[in-house]
Amino acid sequence: MNAKTLRALAPLVAVAVALLVPLVVSDRFILKVFTFAGINALVVVGLALLFGYAGQVSLGHAAFMGLGAYTSAFCTVELEWPWLLGFVAAGAVAAFGGLILAIPALRLKGYYLAMATLGFGLLMSLAFTEARPITGGVDGFTGIPFPSLGPLEIRSAASLYWLVWGAVGIAVLVAHNITSLRPGRAMRALHGSELGAQACGVDIVGVKVRTFVVSALMAGLAGALYAGVVGFVSPSVFTLTASITFIAMTIVGGTSSLAGPILAAVALTLVQYVDALIPGLPRETAQTIQSYQEDIYGLAIVLVVIFAPRGLAGLWKRRNAGGETP
Amino acid sequence: MSEFLQFLVAGLKNGSIYALIALGFTIVYTATGAINFAQGEFFMLGGMICVSFTELGLPLPVAAVAAIAATAAIGAAFELLAVRPIAGDNPLRIIMVTIGGAVVLRQLALHIFGPDERALAPFTEGASLKALGVAVELQTLWIWGLTALAVVLLAFVYRKTTFGRAMRATAIRRDAARLVGVNAGMMVTVAFALAAGLGALAGVAVAPLTQTAFGVGAIIGVKGFAAAILGGIGNPITAVAGGLMLGLLESFAAGYFDPVYKDGVALVVLLLVLFVAPQGLLVRAGRVKV
Repeated sequence: MNAKTLRALAPLVAVAVALLVPLVVSDRFILKVFTFAGINALVVVGLALLFGYAGQVSLGHAAFMGLGAYTSAFCTVELEWPWLLGFVAAGAVAAFGGLILAIPALRLKGYYLAMATLGFGLLMSLAFTEARPITGGVDGFTGIPFPSLGPLEIRSAASLYWLVWGAVGIAVLVAHNITSLRPGRAMRALHGSELGAQACGVDIVGVKVRTFVVSALMAGLAGALYAGVVGFVSPSVFTLTASITFIAMTIVGGTSSLAGPILAAVALTLVQYVDALIPGLPRETAQTIQSYQEDIYGLAIVLVVIFAPRGLAGLWKRRNAGGETP
Repeated sequence: MSEFLQFLVAGLKNGSIYALIALGFTIVYTATGAINFAQGEFFMLGGMICVSFTELGLPLPVAAVAAIAATAAIGAAFELLAVRPIAGDNPLRIIMVTIGGAVVLRQLALHIFGPDERALAPFTEGASLKALGVAVELQTLWIWGLTALAVVLLAFVYRKTTFGRAMRATAIRRDAARLVGVNAGMMVTVAFALAAGLGALAGVAVAPLTQTAFGVGAIIGVKGFAAAILGGIGNPITAVAGGLMLGLLESFAAGYFDPVYKDGVALVVLLLVLFVAPQGLLVRAGRVKV
């Protein structure tokens, strides 16, 4: 097994290790924190494909997550569909939303997509709050059942954790297949030079649109998982701040990598729950860290873009390549 | 009829604010080819800094000018610290830096000024003017006057001064401008300072009518961008026209339908224009750099 296969398998190994966590950790709250980290990681895998491989930024992925969460909640509570069907519907609705947004926006250059997704995200925030009959308005949507697969209800902290990280594992597999096969080569070509890629016969708009739809799909599924894990959805979760958090995780994690963004997603999620993870931490210190959390995200974006544009993954690869940059 | 006129006044008032923000986007876009996602934060900073200066006891006119100058300085510092290191690079990187920078500026405002909404006293006390059944607040007249003054001054500087010519030369072609002795890097810094100053002017002028808070930057930024792209990005005149158009659309939608739609209008306009006519409605098609 050469180094290249090893590197390609690293994310899978990491997910496998992650799946063992509940056997070691018994604290339910800590397991829940890691479950949230997995939900964020699922969104970030999609964004990593979009940003790291196709060179596009989205400031609206919290909205796709919200679309998925509300769809799943509506289908399971109001329509009384089985959870799995609601889960599929959540992915479908988010992917469809992504398609509608992507086709026109991606004909244009990068900053238009960033602005279009920002506008879309703010519009959806507004819709989640105002469409009271469907979303429950500001009060949110309550009484969402636990996820279930047929007769098997998933409600213990450990099994929810496995469900979420299992989904992350599948997402990584899918993403890894996309990036290592023909679409991945097209994406990398795109990142290098759009004109060059186009000259070689790459359908650049098609590649970008498909990547965007896949990333929206993953965000939608993450939203459905969130709704099932928490049992409650409200508009305050799917805001611009959340979208920026996802982008921070993706940028810090690095381009052309899945392991980097996943690690960054876990690390930056843990910052939010620092008080639960370090038991001896004084309350004030924890609160200070939490009140500066968004500063950390913002500053991380700025510093990484200026000093390490390929992110953590880039730093790691450069170190292993003995300072040689590709 | 008077209802229509009242909506018209409200639309032109908000439209002037959007026009100033849109001008800020235009100035940075022409200088760097990138969209400055922190533009709305300069609007927020202008209002918040001005309120704080008046609370420190400065008279309002002094506080207003000082707040605009301070925000312009922050804009220049923002360029020097965050944008300069990656200047001339892929505009996407500049965009990402401004996204992160916007978060940092907003959070700084939160830590310094606190989470509460702040209000500013009107520039001149007095009853609203009434004519043809329409009431016009004095502050609205201030907003119109200051916007007009800013646009005229900007046009004068850009067209008639050596400095303005250097700015335009840099916008057209950076390396060629450098060949004839223009300090192109300096021009980008000045562009950010100008854009920040215009944003701050809008923030200060509107603060007496709508309270301000640390979090108002994002939505006003998006609206300003919607205005800029509605007219056709990169052109100051269409930016102003786009701002006024957006303000009117919003005002009539909120007035004749439901106030709930007010924020939605700008967002829908933004998406529609991006999708249908990304070169803008007011410029000829085919000139767009896609």
